[in-house]
Amino acid sequence: MKNEITLQTRREFLRTTMLGSALSWTVPAFLASTFDALQSEAADSATQIITGKDSTILVVLQMAGGNDGLNTVVPFADDNYHRARPKLGLSEQQVLSLNGETGFHGAMTGFKSLYDSGNLAVVQGVGYPNPNRSHFRSTEIWQTASDSDKVEKYGWLGRYFDNACSGADPMVGVTIGNQTPEAFFAKAPKGICFNNPQNYRFISNNHPRPGQTDMTEAAYEKMNAVDTSAPAADENSGGTIGSLAAGMPMQGGSVTDFIERTALDAQVSSDKVREIAARVQSQATYPASQLGNSLKLVAKLIGGGLPTRIFYVSQGGYDTHTNQIATQQRLLKELGDSVQAFVEDMKAQGNLQRVLVMTFSEFGRRVAENANGGTDHGAAAPMFIVGNKVKAGLLGRYPSLATQDLHQGDIKYTVDFRNVYASVLENWLKTKSAPILGRQFEPLQLV
Amino acid sequence: MLKPLSTSRWSFETAAHLLNRAGFGGSPAANQKLADLGPDRAISLLLDYELIPDSTPDPAWAKPDPEGEKALREAAQKATPEERRQIQQQQNKFRYERMLELRWWWLNRMAKGPRPFREKMVLFWHGHFATSVEKVHEPYFMWRQNELFRRLATGNWQQLLVEAGKDPAMLIWLDQAQSRKEHPNENFAREVMELFSLGEGHYTEKDVTEAARALTGWSLDRPNEKFIYRPFFHDNGVKTFLGRTGNLDGDDVIAQIVAQPQAARFITAKLWNYFAGQYPSDELNIALAAVLRGNENNFKPFLRIMFRSGEFYDASIMRNQVKSPVQWLVSSVRMLECDLPPAPISWGMTRSLGQDLFAPPNVKGWDGGITWITTNSLLDRYNDAATLVQGTFPSLTASDFARKPGGPGGQKIEKAVQRLHIGGVNVEKILTPEERASKDQLVASLEHRLLQLPLKDGQEKALNDFLDSKAQLNDADVLTAVRLVMATPQYQVT
Repeated sequence: MKNEITLQTRREFLRTTMLGSALSWTVPAFLASTFDALQSEAADSATQIITGKDSTILVVLQMAGGNDGLNTVVPFADDNYHRARPKLGLSEQQVLSLNGETGFHGAMTGFKSLYDSGNLAVVQGVGYPNPNRSHFRSTEIWQTASDSDKVEKYGWLGRYFDNACSGADPMVGVTIGNQTPEAFFAKAPKGICFNNPQNYRFISNNHPRPGQTDMTEAAYEKMNAVDTSAPAADENSGGTIGSLAAGMPMQGGSVTDFIERTALDAQVSSDKVREIAARVQSQATYPASQLGNSLKLVAKLIGGGLPTRIFYVSQGGYDTHTNQIATQQRLLKELGDSVQAFVEDMKAQGNLQRVLVMTFSEFGRRVAENANGGTDHGAAAPMFIVGNKVKAGLLGRYPSLATQDLHQGDIKYTVDFRNVYASVLENWLKTKSAPILGRQFEPLQLV
Repeated sequence: MLKPLSTSRWSFETAAHLLNRAGFGGSPAANQKLADLGPDRAISLLLDYELIPDSTPDPAWAKPDPEGEKALREAAQKATPEERRQIQQQQNKFRYERMLELRWWWLNRMAKGPRPFREKMVLFWHGHFATSVEKVHEPYFMWRQNELFRRLATGNWQQLLVEAGKDPAMLIWLDQAQSRKEHPNENFAREVMELFSLGEGHYTEKDVTEAARALTGWSLDRPNEKFIYRPFFHDNGVKTFLGRTGNLDGDDVIAQIVAQPQAARFITAKLWNYFAGQYPSDELNIALAAVLRGNENNFKPFLRIMFRSGEFYDASIMRNQVKSPVQWLVSSVRMLECDLPPAPISWGMTRSLGQDLFAPPNVKGWDGGITWITTNSLLDRYNDAATLVQGTFPSLTASDFARKPGGPGGQKIEKAVQRLHIGGVNVEKILTPEERASKDQLVASLEHRLLQLPLKDGQEKALNDFLDSKAQLNDADVLTAVRLVMATPQYQVT
């Protein structure tokens, strides 16, 4: 048939960027039209992504809930700080001093050692104009890189996929978690997500022994393989689906086409992910926490050669309205130790020069503590950039805490987060940032 | 536009489409019943639900309890910090249990209740007004809002907006309860226009601040757990809102919003998307809005014309909507004529699939559509199907039982699973002895029941290969076949 393209091997299928198993594959008409384009792109971008040992990798680490930046990178020498925080304020003895004025929270020994070894940059006072104090809205602003009074449909990483990774393997974006983050929303959605590699699979009830063929699983695999034995033109797929979901429009094809593609992505990535997770050994000791496990998994996937450019992990619990001291202590220790272990693991693998970790939180917290031993939603806060190519040290300047310099009790930002994104896109992922961020933001000198 | 579907197109397929979209699907017999009734009577059977008795009892705790609240407050006042912590823990435990019960109560109304269309509308309004227990905390308020959506499910647009605005859960959710003339809180004032009735671009920032002033006075009587108008909080000055000037109050704000032609366009587009699976063209949207306004903004006559229209049965609409997690679970139960899994499991499934009832992710509600589907959630659906149909936990089985057969860890989990008693599907209820005896008939029957259309040839062949690998089909094999049909892309679509 004219509309069919038969792919002989899995390798060829992967290289041409659609995924399959070791069967002989046929691709339906809706894919065939774009196939030529995919194949030519596969020769450069996709093939490079798949085989390239040089491709850079970005790990985005979300600190969800709004981390109290002031007690993370602490201006312990500033009287304004102690006046605003009689109970929560940290003294010089309680911090890991960086320069005699500023220091990390005492629990962040992991970050301190990364800082000392030249692998960590602190971007101080990051925020955006007209800050929003709603978790949802501010998270959305960070995820879509929008102005605070504009709503963007797509995420900044989704726009990166659309602009710079067309035709790439679906595994180009990997989220460790249940839900695709809004940052990944795209015109042509890409990326896979999963929580636990053990359960990231179709599981039959038969407990087959290794090597044994399970009939249920075999049937599932075939029933989820795109094939053309059905009528070539689906009678439903006449027009394009302009705005299918409020949040995530999709172009072309029917809803079933989209799910078929996702099913194929799931099938092949599940095999691959589990194979790598079982084969690759960790070469560092991670804290037994959710973030530790996520980064451990990311390290395995990098070591196993997954063709991923963007990994997304998150750590929750930073919304410390009450009893902040104990909670933040635990979270920051987990953060520092997990990232430190990840860096060691990358170094042992020989992949550290390819990897950059970037943290963000939707906002910092108010300068003044509240009456419940906590802090309420605020504005600007520091970001951390980790890797052996970073310009290590304290970047930007610490925003003033003098009362007259605050805006409604909040720190005024000194760096727009989109200047950080611009740097990550241009200097690390090597792509133009303006089409992705909507306009030109001056890249910060980060790497 | 919106001309009635020709009666000659009424069939099992169109009837099933109606029941899937205006309800949560049903057995082949339920679809056939609607097909036999013809379109007008089929739509009436769903929409005129007042004619069908519904005697579902309310949860035992679903009533105001000012005495209990008072006792609790007094106890907390006298308590030591340690005792106060214990009281708080006890409260949290109650709330957790009640929310579990409430979710189960509602899911059962959808899955087993006599008025599925009404519950489908309640689910729409819940997603529309998107109020979360994460901030409201109080299960009684969440139930009460749910009942409001049930009472006004197909009622009047203006009345619904007013009552939703005065609803205790909403007063907490969008901070209206804290609004004073000295510091008007703009949260509800903004969202009522942006997300509930007009959409961005159809009002100015000035309208937001003026609406916030007018809405002051709408407040919550916490001890008595109900709405209260507090004249002392109200700003009696002159406001200008959407072109109208005067000493406006909250009711005036809602009336002025609903008077905008955009209000009808906004809500009819959203309703069309909910039922048809995509947003309408401008032309269709204008026609839909005209029907709503032509019926004094009453939803029932509007929905009747919508479900009767040829557009609703267009080829681009039918079988082209992703099932939401709730739709997936509830329609599976209806189509397979089985029971919902126990409360914690039903909750866990809907939550892990991305739709935690009473806890939408934010005030915009669930994005829905293809955002329901990720590689992870798709595999979860495929595995949850085994739990639902076969009463097993495949994920536990693989990682726990298989790896330590007979080991202490495995046994413990096995016992816990047994205690949960998931019924699974009764093969004899959904298949005749003849269908169970013949593989061809079995496959055809499952396609008819679960998809209302055949599998693709390659899929059918794979299913037949599976069945052929069994010397003799037992019930377990049949259930595996059911699960396999549910583990396809098509089954995620309705």
